[in-house]
Amino acid sequence: MYQQEKLAKGIDWVVVFLYAALVGIGILCIFMVEYNPDVNWVSAFISGQTEYSKQLIFAGVCAILAIFILLSDSKLYTAFANLAYLFGILLMLATFVLGKNINGSRSWIPLGGGFNLQPAELCKIFTSLALAKYLSMQELDFTKLRSQIIATVIAMFPAMLSILQNETGLALVYCCFFIVMYREGLPGAILLIGFSFGVLVVATLIMDPDLLAIILTAIAIAMIYLLRKKIKRSKTILGLIILIWGACVGIQRFAVPYIFNNILQCYQSTRVYAMVGKVYDCSKNKSSIAREEENKGYAKPDDYNVRQSKIAIGSGGIFGRGFLKGTQTRGKYVPEQQTDFVFTSIGEAFGFVGCAAFLLTYLALLFRIVKIAERQRSVFSRVYAYCVASIFLMHIAINVCMTVGLFPVVGIPLPLVSYGGSSLVTFTILIFIMLRLDADRQMVLR
Amino acid sequence: MEIKRDILWRVYLCFLLVVLVCIVIVGKAFYIQQVQGDYWESMSDSLHQKIQEIAADRGTIYSDNGQMLSTSIPQFDIYIDFEADGLREKNGKRFTENLDSLSYGLASLFKDRTASVYKELLKEGYRKGNRYFSLKKGISYRNYQKMLQLPLIREGRNKSGFIAETQNIRLNPYQILAYRTIGLNRSNSQKVGLEGTYDSVLKGTPGKRLVRFIAGGVAVPVDESADIDPENGKDIITTIDTHIQEIAENALMKMMVSNEATHGCAIVLEVKTGKIKAIANLGRTPEGNYWENFNYAVTPTEPGSIFKLATMLALLEDKKTSLDAPIDLHGGHWAINGRVVNDAENHGNVANVKEAFEVSSNVGMAELVYNAYKNNPMQFVNHLKKIGLGSLTGVDITGERHPFLYTPQSKLWSATTLPWMAFGYNTLISPLGIAMLYNAVANNGVMMKPYLVSGFAKEGQVIKQIEPTTLRTIADSAVIKQLQSLVYGVCNEKHGTGYTLLKDLPFQLCGKTGTALVAEGKNGYSSKIYQSAFAGYFPADDPQYTCVVEIVNKPHAARYYGAAVAGPVFKEIAERLYTLYVRRNNPNHYEGLDSLKKVAGGYSFNGKRSSFQTIAGTLGWKYQFASKDQDATWARFYTNDQSENYMAPLGTIQDGFQKGLKGNKMPDLSGLGLKDALYICEGLGLKVDVQGFGRVSAQSLAAGASVERGQAIQLSLGDTPKQG
Repeated sequence: MYQQEKLAKGIDWVVVFLYAALVGIGILCIFMVEYNPDVNWVSAFISGQTEYSKQLIFAGVCAILAIFILLSDSKLYTAFANLAYLFGILLMLATFVLGKNINGSRSWIPLGGGFNLQPAELCKIFTSLALAKYLSMQELDFTKLRSQIIATVIAMFPAMLSILQNETGLALVYCCFFIVMYREGLPGAILLIGFSFGVLVVATLIMDPDLLAIILTAIAIAMIYLLRKKIKRSKTILGLIILIWGACVGIQRFAVPYIFNNILQCYQSTRVYAMVGKVYDCSKNKSSIAREEENKGYAKPDDYNVRQSKIAIGSGGIFGRGFLKGTQTRGKYVPEQQTDFVFTSIGEAFGFVGCAAFLLTYLALLFRIVKIAERQRSVFSRVYAYCVASIFLMHIAINVCMTVGLFPVVGIPLPLVSYGGSSLVTFTILIFIMLRLDADRQMVLR
Repeated sequence: MEIKRDILWRVYLCFLLVVLVCIVIVGKAFYIQQVQGDYWESMSDSLHQKIQEIAADRGTIYSDNGQMLSTSIPQFDIYIDFEADGLREKNGKRFTENLDSLSYGLASLFKDRTASVYKELLKEGYRKGNRYFSLKKGISYRNYQKMLQLPLIREGRNKSGFIAETQNIRLNPYQILAYRTIGLNRSNSQKVGLEGTYDSVLKGTPGKRLVRFIAGGVAVPVDESADIDPENGKDIITTIDTHIQEIAENALMKMMVSNEATHGCAIVLEVKTGKIKAIANLGRTPEGNYWENFNYAVTPTEPGSIFKLATMLALLEDKKTSLDAPIDLHGGHWAINGRVVNDAENHGNVANVKEAFEVSSNVGMAELVYNAYKNNPMQFVNHLKKIGLGSLTGVDITGERHPFLYTPQSKLWSATTLPWMAFGYNTLISPLGIAMLYNAVANNGVMMKPYLVSGFAKEGQVIKQIEPTTLRTIADSAVIKQLQSLVYGVCNEKHGTGYTLLKDLPFQLCGKTGTALVAEGKNGYSSKIYQSAFAGYFPADDPQYTCVVEIVNKPHAARYYGAAVAGPVFKEIAERLYTLYVRRNNPNHYEGLDSLKKVAGGYSFNGKRSSFQTIAGTLGWKYQFASKDQDATWARFYTNDQSENYMAPLGTIQDGFQKGLKGNKMPDLSGLGLKDALYICEGLGLKVDVQGFGRVSAQSLAAGASVERGQAIQLSLGDTPKQG
């Protein structure tokens, strides 16, 4: 009795409820995707051959895991944060040796029995813990550049490893830690610069290069005119403006085309172009030219995934086609629909209303987490909760944007909903550690 | 406080970011689902498995003589997929390289746009990346095959992006001939004519196939073993003979045009079987042309005088009168129950019944019927019904309207109905109904059901034969003999209304003229619209064909008598049919025809040897060479006196012109056709002046004289060939 009381005490049931709801929705979605009217689903379910039954098993495992976490001591996480981070990094490095190639990314470690582990997923937990640990150090002054750089390195090192493993999507997720750091005092200017850079890249893709150059020049001249009094006083501002203008034009004229043609693979460039609704000419791509010269030819990449995904979502209409009635889903036209494109099955079956309700559920979860974060006494718990919220946000945003064609296709699962043990376990651990910390919010953790 | 505010700001910003992301996503989802929803939904629909119909080929409608009257031919709609991989690869190299030659090729093939217009069109389509660019619709198979040879297109669909969609259209090779009877196969509207009547036979059973649509609207069969193959439609063989149809249509057309008639029809039945050999229906279009626009042949009208045969049939069968009974024609005017029956002209007062019929006296008919049936008009009406005039003809074509006979019980029956019925008013009978009646008389009283389809065929094999149907015997043979003598008299007695028209024919025929006023809506009979009719059969001694012509004239037409308008049409049809068919089937009918009389003496033609050999070879004529030189270029083809039978002439090819062609000696051109003569003269460099026509009879440069280039020669042509 004592154990149970302790377990239940201080737990934020709203989050637990939302968590359970989302996992349930996820299993239903996978069921929709897998459902085949010709096969007796009961027997298929019991035999455990289908992905929804596997996901159910994962959910069971997660439930046990969650209980263990809730039974554990919060101090455990502060104590082992750095160690765990080290462990995570080692795991990621190990993939380079033990790694198994799944869908073109060498980021999986086979565990046997058909299960694979993706250390980059798990590493999000460890990174969150490590970042929380670092930022909660009493002697830390986060306004100093040095500590900002150290925090950035902690957050970005696993991201770098991810890129090396060809998991661009996961690497992007690690960028979410900037949100946390921003909350903890990172200058807004850095985010602004990052955002401006993004706008510039998108503008480069969309607009005629000459027109964009003229617009940039016009902005620069307008700035010089507006700041003419300050420029009289200090020539550095003028220099800065010209420097920024030069950098922008340089990026727009040379850097972006160079990156797309020479660094990115043909399929990557195509996906990015497809996002802004344009067709990328792969004959300009260095890697595809190289392949063609080797007479290998290249499989023409296209926006097939996104088209199919849009068809599924688009054919849902306001109220959707109904549970198990989605033809796009039933026909298995959307690739990876049970994992990365699980959102489409909701879109098709339940329409706009379903999508909105589903996103509202996520929004509720996010707000709840941010609220939890803000009620923490200890910096560690707060930073950690922020980490959880930003990881969720990043995942949801990128995943859903990608299915509706707002973002290039990168392999990022929808938290708690997409099929996949690694991802489900990771998010479960993330949330329940946060709940454990929150249950002990009266304590000050270091 | 500063720090707290800063942190709060940052938290709010984080919230804002989350909300913003959500709004963007929801907005985009809304856009996809609501704004573009239909598009994506249609894309989705195109992606499912579907049971697709495989169209069955529609059967062909054949004429009796094996000609295609209506058939399906493929047509092609051409589209271009400008996003085709092959077209786009290497930055559109293939497209740009072939653009000029392709545009030129398309322009010279279709000749509807210039090459530069085509070029602009293709460039525009390429620039927009249209995936289903409609280039041209409805091109023929021949042009399609030619198009496949053009640059770029010949590289195949994947490289050129050219897509051809086949569709079958219905073609009537004989166009206007029996157009309305053959009918129309319209998908959005009611089918008419034979296409409508025999639609279920022609259309076949469509097959079924399970297909899955992949992006771009391409259907991929899912399981071919489960396909149900289409069963193609059967062909139908009609009784219509294209030659007879053409004769009827032309004869009718000529008269329609010259008399500016409103509409008309001509029907030819085969007497023994009731087969409809021709059925022409012409109506005046608003533009003043004539077209097969309505099936007038099965539309009942007031028949007028041609109905008098039915009247006589009833009178004779009911023993109400006899042919030689005297009758008072009242000088052409007979007042009865307040109305006056008028004859077209005064035939005096006293005549017999036969003469009254032959001069087409309305008074005579009205008087006979009125006196015979005034106490029991139902007997007359029933008699008409008994011989089938009150019912449908039963012809196998949709849209036949019901004929109409007044009955004494009807409200419309008045005191004058009966006498007016006697000469063809107050009844509505279609031309085909009249044709049936005359055909029965020609067929010794046996009424045949008229029909248009004699059988169904599949892959050239007749699978069902439709036999003639005997409907009824309309009268006993004594009465029929009398009726036959009546219609014979109309055409062969001096006072008959058809005599003047038909007297010069080399054979005898039987028939009846008819002129009826046509009631036109509220104007009644006052518009003076006349329906001219002629119904009859030929030859008189052994009837082969029945023909009915009815023409409705324009109001106040100058010519309207049956013998003047419908008669000549009938005459032309009869004359040509007699020449073409009747005589061929019966050698006795050959007598008395000038054109095919044996030619006295032999004949002789001069010309190219090779041409003669071709002709002789084609016709299977035997010939012998008169001399050993069998390779002469020019020769004479003639018969000697022993060639008695012109069908098997014994000809000889003789060389007679050869020596003249060597050196510069003038050859003997006499007996040559102008074409050959010119060939030879111009070969010698002579300037030729020609007079007359026929074959060369005289030449200004004597045969054997030496000639120089540029010399002038006069040739006189005239048909006096030198006998060989």
